[in-house]
Amino acid sequence: MTADQRPAAPAAGPILRLDDLGVVFTTQSGEVPAVRGVSLLVEPGETLALVGESGSGKSTVALAAMGLLADNARATGSATVAGTEVVGAGEAALAGLRGRTVSMVFQEPATALDPLTRVGKQIAEVVRNHREMSAKDAAAEAVELLRRVGIPEPEKRASAYPFQLSGGQRQRVVIAMAIANEPALLIADEPTTALDVTVQAEILDLLRRLAAETGTGVLLVTHNMGVVADFADRVAVMYHGEIVETGPVEDVLLRPSHEYTRRLLAAVPRLSVDGEDLSETPRAAAPPIEAEPVVELDNVSVVFGRGRGAVRALDGVSLTVRHGETLGLVGESGSGKSTASRVALGLITPNEGTVSLFGTDLARTRSRARRALRAGVGVVLQDPVASLDARMTVGECVAEPLRVHRRALSARERQERVAAVLDRVRLSREVARRAPRELSGGQRQRVSLARALVLEPRLLVADEPTSALDVSVQEAVLEVISELQAELGFACLFVSHDLAVVQHFAQRVAVMRAGRVEEQGDTGTTLLRPETDYTRRLLAAVPVPDPVVQRSRRTERLATLAAGRTEATA
Amino acid sequence: MSTPTYLFRRVLQAAAVILIVTVVVFALLHSLPGGPARGILGPQATAQQIEAFNHEQGLDKPLPVQYLYYLGQLAHGDLGTSYTLNEPVSQLITERLPKTLLLTVLSAIVGLLLAVPLGMWQAVRRNKPVDYVITTLSFIAYSTPVYFLGLILVLVFSQALPWFPSQAPQGHTLGQVLSDPQGLVLPIAAGAASMVAVFSRYMRAATLENLSEDYVRTARAGGSRSRAILWRHVFRNSLTPVVAMLGYYVPVLFGGALVVEQLFNYPGMGLLFWTAAQSSDYPVLLGCVLIIAVATVTGTLIADIVQRIIDPRVKAGRS
Repeated sequence: MTADQRPAAPAAGPILRLDDLGVVFTTQSGEVPAVRGVSLLVEPGETLALVGESGSGKSTVALAAMGLLADNARATGSATVAGTEVVGAGEAALAGLRGRTVSMVFQEPATALDPLTRVGKQIAEVVRNHREMSAKDAAAEAVELLRRVGIPEPEKRASAYPFQLSGGQRQRVVIAMAIANEPALLIADEPTTALDVTVQAEILDLLRRLAAETGTGVLLVTHNMGVVADFADRVAVMYHGEIVETGPVEDVLLRPSHEYTRRLLAAVPRLSVDGEDLSETPRAAAPPIEAEPVVELDNVSVVFGRGRGAVRALDGVSLTVRHGETLGLVGESGSGKSTASRVALGLITPNEGTVSLFGTDLARTRSRARRALRAGVGVVLQDPVASLDARMTVGECVAEPLRVHRRALSARERQERVAAVLDRVRLSREVARRAPRELSGGQRQRVSLARALVLEPRLLVADEPTSALDVSVQEAVLEVISELQAELGFACLFVSHDLAVVQHFAQRVAVMRAGRVEEQGDTGTTLLRPETDYTRRLLAAVPVPDPVVQRSRRTERLATLAAGRTEATA
Repeated sequence: MSTPTYLFRRVLQAAAVILIVTVVVFALLHSLPGGPARGILGPQATAQQIEAFNHEQGLDKPLPVQYLYYLGQLAHGDLGTSYTLNEPVSQLITERLPKTLLLTVLSAIVGLLLAVPLGMWQAVRRNKPVDYVITTLSFIAYSTPVYFLGLILVLVFSQALPWFPSQAPQGHTLGQVLSDPQGLVLPIAAGAASMVAVFSRYMRAATLENLSEDYVRTARAGGSRSRAILWRHVFRNSLTPVVAMLGYYVPVLFGGALVVEQLFNYPGMGLLFWTAAQSSDYPVLLGCVLIIAVATVTGTLIADIVQRIIDPRVKAGRS
């Protein structure tokens, strides 16, 4: 511990300098190089975004700069923070640097804090790691930091446990810890990936303000090009452990020079905004007008729990999905969109209202008839790892619905159907013999899709089917779904938090908030000229991957918010 | 759930469990062959004598009646009279229970004080020689029967090296027992050994799990040293699951006491239970089992309450 009251003054020159940095992981199957020959600079006060898809090595670079690599990783080359070498440094040197000269904000605010220690105490710990201060003064400093990161009633909140805070508030606490000693460099590893878009916008505003106040350099690791456009001065693109392109944000996002960057940007779904020419926006063909409803929720309410602890998850929700169309269900976490999809599946019985599937009231069916109805519904869930049985082969996973609902089929016929559906989702037939874990995320999600479609359902319920996937993979999966929908004509209930994806993929959209449908209508109308303030706020918070457009969107959003605030206080 | 409501519910649950235990044990004991009359009157007794004994003790009545009668007495704190010792069971238990509690509680404390740091040390030095040595010793300690371990302790530390007496203190009161702390060393060591083995494994696993948690990385990123992180954060988080296990370990501790008391001739509950079992002394057996059930249920109750105190999420119903 040092006696310094203030952080070391940023030395002249870059605050972070990576020189030919390499990282190798030692695994059971041998040495795996994760990062090769990475060189980059972060100047004081600037934000460098490190972007790339999963497995590109961007997080590994961030951890290497903090000396926080796992035990089985070995770094080579050089990484200097404010002139101090991190590669090969001992714990004492690193501990003196971390939290004082360089600090970090992590992706998952739910697990980044010690669940059994009050948040004020966790912040005070970082303060006292680097400043000679009494416990009392450090506690007061923690309250002050909570105020700076915009936590309401910081005196009270300081004694809260992490589980008592929302995700956004937890991330603010992690940020308070990171800025506790006014570091010269802040490393943010996907700081908003786990958060809703409105919270994401707030957290990015906060980080931008804090960095500007103290002239802190920021290394921002992210896969979200909108976040990059919103925040970064310069961008470095990583691919397979190497940097393929570096440059100012306008250049990289608007005039990419490397082939990979071009492909990556092309795959990013862009949110169209009012006034734009929409003729180029790809969109699935409009469904036949007034086709028969496939699933219909009428004034449905769902209450979880009883008494004081009861939660009204759905409150008078009415939705209809027709033959051949896709209804996008959007909203922030906790808005009830997944609950609504489960009601449509007949997995949750509503407390009030009726659900009819294929024209039959679910409440009036007995278990056998209900099972027959369910055979007409396919489901794809968010996590392609968790939703496939790891002990089955891909072929068995896909064949399972046939075993349950088409018992008359012979083993041979079953195999033929599995092979045919694998063709449809553009997987090779060979895949049937492999285990799900041998496949990539996108392939696994296509296996889930094959399983959902093997019974040729009339309704497909897809709950965040692509949010665990990289953008290029997401594009391929969505394309497969659209093509099959055109071919097979199923209705699709598409749950997503990503407004841009819904805009491209769904013909109609329902915006949910706190268990109610805020508004619904044609995607082209509702997501371009929304009727409610809530949808407007939601859309305004989505960062678009164009730095120039995003800058004006941000100014506009902040002005609207400020106006709303003065109105509220007036 | 508020704390009073919670306590009320948990105590009711505990009472129900104890009641079920009495039914099960009563039924089991009465289905044993031989019966108490044979045990007390000896193999020479005539059928007439046995019948007279059974009548006198109420053993010829239907089992449910016997059980209800037993419960009624229980409500008045009357656990019956020992067939063989001719003393009220409640008196026998009051005399001996404190001694057994002393032995088991001290064994548990010593065991935990050793097991917790050992487990953490192993976790920090995972797959290093220290870890392997402690793991090996744990498995040996865990798989060695208590009586065998006790015998070895006596042979080594009492016979070969005359450090400690081979007999536990014989005093009647706790004061008398405690005035001879030397005599308690070997019984406590024998009782604590398996505890150390089992709980150091739990602690090792819990610590390893917590060391890989994100919050440890956050603390490191804030400039905290490994040692500080271990004690400030990992220790408490790892202790919660271990505390939960502690309650379930009470019957094992009593089981150990059974053997340890016999081995070191320590007049506690274990020895009482042992002699009662050998002479089919039903009232004493039932009384002992009841006490062990109460102790187990109380143990889990205390473990649950302690968990509520150290983990705020339990109170909020989040985990």
